[in-house]
Amino acid sequence: MTIRRHLLGMAAMLMAGPAFAQAPAPAAPVPGWAVGRPEGSTLAPHAARLTVTPLDQVPVSSIRLPQGFQAEVFAHGIPGVRAIAEGPNGTLFAGTRAIGRVYAITRNPDGTTRTRIFAQGLAQPNGLVMIGNSLYIFAVNRVLRYDNVEANLDSPPAPVDLTAAFALPTEQEHGGNHHWKYATLGPDGRIYTNVGVNCNVCDTDRDKFALLVSFRPDGSDRRIEARGVRNSVGMAHHPVTRELWATNHGRDWVGNDTPEDSLLRVRRVGEDFGFPYCLGTWADPQYNRGRACGEFSQPAALLGPHTAVLGMRFYTGTMFPEQYRNQIFIARRGSWNRARLSGFDVVVAHLDAQGNVTRIEEFLTGLRDDASQRFADRPAEVHVLRDGSMLVSGEQMGAIYRITYRR
Amino acid sequence: MAAALLAAATAGDALAQDARRGAELATSCLQCHGVNGRSQMPDIPSLAGQPADFITIQMILLREGLRNAPAMAPFAAGKSDQDIQDIAAWFATLPPGPPDDRRARDAALFAAGQALSGPRHCATCHVSDYGGRNQIPRIAAQREEYLLHAMTQYRDGLRAGPDTQMNGAVMGLSNADLAALAHYLAQLD
Repeated sequence: MTIRRHLLGMAAMLMAGPAFAQAPAPAAPVPGWAVGRPEGSTLAPHAARLTVTPLDQVPVSSIRLPQGFQAEVFAHGIPGVRAIAEGPNGTLFAGTRAIGRVYAITRNPDGTTRTRIFAQGLAQPNGLVMIGNSLYIFAVNRVLRYDNVEANLDSPPAPVDLTAAFALPTEQEHGGNHHWKYATLGPDGRIYTNVGVNCNVCDTDRDKFALLVSFRPDGSDRRIEARGVRNSVGMAHHPVTRELWATNHGRDWVGNDTPEDSLLRVRRVGEDFGFPYCLGTWADPQYNRGRACGEFSQPAALLGPHTAVLGMRFYTGTMFPEQYRNQIFIARRGSWNRARLSGFDVVVAHLDAQGNVTRIEEFLTGLRDDASQRFADRPAEVHVLRDGSMLVSGEQMGAIYRITYRR
Repeated sequence: MAAALLAAATAGDALAQDARRGAELATSCLQCHGVNGRSQMPDIPSLAGQPADFITIQMILLREGLRNAPAMAPFAAGKSDQDIQDIAAWFATLPPGPPDDRRARDAALFAAGQALSGPRHCATCHVSDYGGRNQIPRIAAQREEYLLHAMTQYRDGLRAGPDTQMNGAVMGLSNADLAALAHYLAQLD
């Protein structure tokens, strides 16, 4: 089945070539995102939902977990919720993309939550980092720092604008492609973030795009941590080895089963993961440029075609069974560029003592219905709370689920 | 479980929408967007037959100040999710069609636009009849000058949708290319 799907994808791709050749010559060249895209395909991104979903329609009852785990609705009425960062006093800040908001979620004494719109009108404010009492918001190239933030949730102070210091590529420079950020604080006190590629696939400036980069918190001392990373929208440092790990999205329009999304382990500063030439041992059929895939760093794991791997965290709590300690939980937001849905779940990458991925376990499932080819929500982030429970943000339904374990 | 999945699967159909209530709320919309949802005013788009998700998402982008269309700002400000969804549901029920003053077809311009529509994969998202679906608008028979305006904004980075597909779709096209595409799409029924 896998091979057949692959062949169908290849056939569709090969057919696109002659179709281009016979059509009247377009006045402008076909842009990078459209390379390999078969005319006649009806695959398109799923519609975002930017309105509040009533609690009784939040699909928590669809969620399936391993024995002993339970899911509950932690917070809801948060359209577009994605990345989560936690303040020292326990406030959860949540970033979004299309709706342009950053939410602040606090817990009431009775265990319920209260959600405020902390910031709004921002372009794709998905990247959030807490350093001490300061919240950093990354909205494309814009970087804003809100100091003493948890004491001022109702009337946030004017932020310090660090945009010029970070000097990230603008939305225009990205051509509107992969310009949203994920950001995390490293154990070295630096801010780590992604600079996605400015196309679906293209020959790009490999010192400017398709990178993982780090900065001092003031925006100085930019360092390329990894290159040839098409777009990472989730990363975390190993709690013991302190190595940077990141999720990475593969390109579109080159078959239902190729390439796969991936999990990257950055062992050396500046190592090259091969985009656009290769992903692992897979050579891009249009952009390989004669490069041997063996010359590039190999992914730690492949995470399925078009699954849209997003937020990832090492489980550092004690509530879950011992086998999950320091293992990687990964949200797979789910596919659109594929005939049949993939992802829409949370998986666990299990590591051995050397940090090699030994297996990928399906952890949170039930949101994808293979029979009807529909989905109930899209996991976009995971976050470990101090009590060892885990939050999973559901972007489609604007809810955050909490996963607990009882023996 | 299957029923819940079915009910919640797409953005628009999870919440009950009341098109009749939307019709009452939409009276102020019609001054510009046309009494039957087909705009007779330059630079104002027709909304008749637009997918409800498309109208809902655009109204929220306008409400949140994320889409810059000054004429719409006072109408979008403060609108509740429910009002927006009801208005969107009503416009979606109206039969679409061209404006009364649609100009005659220019065969050369039409052909040039048609020739671009394939390589630019317009029908991939907008569907082969260009009637749109979900968050993707109906563009067949839309006002020509509005189509040109919208595509120019996407090309020049002045507008973004809930995803960035449209920015990529028109990247690198000349003003003449966009004019041809606008004419081609405006002529379709």
